[in-house]
Amino acid sequence: MKRIIQTTLAGAIGLGVAFSALAGPVDDQAAFQKYYESRFPNTPTEDFANGVYSILPEAREQWESIEEFPPYELAIENGEKLYHSKFANGKSLADCFGPEGAVRGQYPFWDKDRGMVMTMERAVNECREANGEKPYRWKKGKIADVTAYMSFNSRGQEVKVEIPTDDSRALAAYEDGKEHFYTKRGQLNFACADCHLLTAGNLYRADTTSPAFGHATSWPVFRSKWQSMGTLHRRFAGCHNNIRANPYKAQGTEYSNLEYFVTYMSNGLEFNGPAARK
Amino acid sequence: MKNGLKNIALGLALMSPLAFAGNGTTAAHIEAATGAYKQVAKETSYQWTVTVQAIKAAKKALEQGDDAGARRLAHEAMNLVNATRSQAKIEAETWQMRVPK
Repeated sequence: MKRIIQTTLAGAIGLGVAFSALAGPVDDQAAFQKYYESRFPNTPTEDFANGVYSILPEAREQWESIEEFPPYELAIENGEKLYHSKFANGKSLADCFGPEGAVRGQYPFWDKDRGMVMTMERAVNECREANGEKPYRWKKGKIADVTAYMSFNSRGQEVKVEIPTDDSRALAAYEDGKEHFYTKRGQLNFACADCHLLTAGNLYRADTTSPAFGHATSWPVFRSKWQSMGTLHRRFAGCHNNIRANPYKAQGTEYSNLEYFVTYMSNGLEFNGPAARK
Repeated sequence: MKNGLKNIALGLALMSPLAFAGNGTTAAHIEAATGAYKQVAKETSYQWTVTVQAIKAAKKALEQGDDAGARRLAHEAMNLVNATRSQAKIEAETWQMRVPK
């Protein structure tokens, strides 16, 4: 009898794992968001877009005072100049993204023709290259300034990443990003999920880890630690360095798929970048 | 054939740290650790920063004539490569446990 119970239990656990593995993006997202809402019941759902400040009242006051004279303001101004400055052929980024570049809500998306995730940073550099200009470097500097301007003009747009059902490669990219998020790496043996899901809100030395729900809404970011602006992929690389894993290439497949997954998980929130973070 | 033998030698080195710690020049040990590091990275995409640091430190020690120190660092690098491989294997089988249901 005991053996039958054990076998049944093992089967049930096995099926549970199997069902979990087979759960689609919609179910993943619902379970993901529900997890944070249960874990942080005092945080209004829309406030998760504010990162760690959505769960840390004592730091929020300081952050709000920083936001009164935000350190990313210069980046927005510089980004505006770069956005409207003419290429050698007389065109500008405005010819690709409209007069204000308020397109944040369209990214990232699945580019069916090329079979890859398209990020806003990549789109900016492809616009430049298509007009005979050199691409910006991926992680900081001009790319962060230009996208700060574009994100600022896009504030309030809804995060609504789609995983097209008519292209299995899109789901594969999503699944790749999902696996990346939950997989431990580096000598310190951490997954993104360890810090930003399972122990979100806990202290790691002097820092409280932020919830991953809302992680993708506020980029680019001015980080006090960097004393400069940086893109989401710069942050991914920094996290990997922290856990002693070699970072992947910014805008490479790994980080682009990770961005696809992380942003999809924040569907329903609003884009609110650029932002200031510790 | 040449590649086959190379792979067997690499496999043996990965499977047995004791075998690896045996004969051969220190330079060969560093090369074996470097090869194993690249192999694991290629197979699993897992790479640890500390392994690269250990390999670099081993090369530097050898250049400075510290053969024993270089050999110790090469072995340390090989141990880190083995740990990386184990991590990749375990994670491939267990990461789904962390997904909220």
